[in-house]
Amino acid sequence: MLKILRLEYILNRRQIFIIMAIFTVYFAYMAYRIDSPRVFVVTTSIMIGLSMPFVILGREDKFKTAALVCSLPVRRATVVLGKYAATWAAIGLGLGYTLFFTAVFPFTKFGIGEILTARTLLVSLFLISLIFAVILPFTIRFGLTGIIILLVGCQLLGILALILAQVMGGVRNPLRLVFRAIENGLRALLTREVTPGFLLTLLAAIVAVNAASLLISRVLYARREL
Amino acid sequence: MDNAIEIKGLRKEYKGFKLDDVTFAVPQGYIMGLIGPNGAGKTTVIKLIMNLIRRHAGEVRVFGLDNLRHEPEIKSRIGFVYDVPRFPEDLRLQTIASAVSAFYRKWDEVRFRGLLEEFQLSPRQVFKKLSHGMKMKFSLAVALAHDADLILMDEPTAGLDPVFRFELLTKLRALIQDERKTVLFSSHITSDLERVADFVTFIDKGRLVFSAAKDEVLETWGVVRAAGDGLRPEDVPEARGFRRTEHRFEVLTSDIAAARRASLPGVVCDKASLEDIMFFVSKGNAHA
Repeated sequence: MLKILRLEYILNRRQIFIIMAIFTVYFAYMAYRIDSPRVFVVTTSIMIGLSMPFVILGREDKFKTAALVCSLPVRRATVVLGKYAATWAAIGLGLGYTLFFTAVFPFTKFGIGEILTARTLLVSLFLISLIFAVILPFTIRFGLTGIIILLVGCQLLGILALILAQVMGGVRNPLRLVFRAIENGLRALLTREVTPGFLLTLLAAIVAVNAASLLISRVLYARREL
Repeated sequence: MDNAIEIKGLRKEYKGFKLDDVTFAVPQGYIMGLIGPNGAGKTTVIKLIMNLIRRHAGEVRVFGLDNLRHEPEIKSRIGFVYDVPRFPEDLRLQTIASAVSAFYRKWDEVRFRGLLEEFQLSPRQVFKKLSHGMKMKFSLAVALAHDADLILMDEPTAGLDPVFRFELLTKLRALIQDERKTVLFSSHITSDLERVADFVTFIDKGRLVFSAAKDEVLETWGVVRAAGDGLRPEDVPEARGFRRTEHRFEVLTSDIAAARRASLPGVVCDKASLEDIMFFVSKGNAHA
């Protein structure tokens, strides 16, 4: 797996540095505007984490290097594990960069101590896990086109659901109930009392979500024809 | 004779194409050419050996090992050259090599640099700035740098000028002087195969036509020609295809000796070239 990570890094290192440069500007803008350290960590980690599969898979689609990787002496399951590791490395990089930036940028609205709490970090990682658990299998199976279709599809579905929720009217219509459940779930995540049990549950959920996503990706990638 | 590759009952279906029950073996220490017209299934066979696509039935063994169960072990002994090299275009050759080399225990950097020099390539060149021929040379250098026991190449000579084609074929010939090395390459340029191949496997429309020693094929297959309409395919023993031109009738046979013994009146019997065989079987009128 380390060889795959190394390969992805060597093949994409120039793009990674370009992304870091772009994100420096993005951080400066967001750190100045966002009040909540949790929202800041989640959004920046997701942005950096998203850019990694976009860059790697975009280049993989462009140069058709998936066939090169799969012709090397490595199992496809290991290739998938490498892609997950690369994405989490990017998320880790994003998190590290966020902390560093928060420490050195003079205009942030919160201190580094507000980010470095078990609750903030675990809630952030849980939300990031949920997003990537859906995105990664799509990108691994269908490449860049897959991720674009997924993201656009999700946006259109979201818009449609919002319109339907309005049109259907009534406080107890099913769509509004779903939206309310999501809203309550997020609020509970952000405001619930911090107990060791809550943190352990979050940690277990992160592991379970990632394991399920990895399993699905492995099955999908094994079926990919190159 | 040990086999480097053994393929049994291999099947793969796409919409509008079926690779059907293909069985053949590549003996270790020899060059085998995989011939057939475009769309015959050559690339499909090579991709199935490399597990780049999923087979629907059959078995592929490389060095006696199942190619799915022992994928990393097998691939570490294969040097693979694509018809169109699949390297990131914007990287230098040395960067690509450094990314790939970590996967091979037997990667020999000195040998790799030597091959680049031999092929007149600089490690600092950017891949996209190379011509097609130079890209193929680089692919070959990567394939040879880890002392692979099996070189697998998909249409390596397509689109290359005659000078480099000759160089490449000479290189392959030199490679198998080491009797452990085996080469399997697909091509529709039959003259390349006649020049270097020891064995030939012919696939047409997804089906195996034959897999045999090249010399045996060239000795036994022939074309029987007669002026006008004085010849019918059923008159020729082991007829495999025929064509009618304005002035003569030609029949391909897989037993030229039997055709000669039949003493057909007014006919000329010639040995068939691989090109003749490919043409008659693929484009001529098939005759079972």
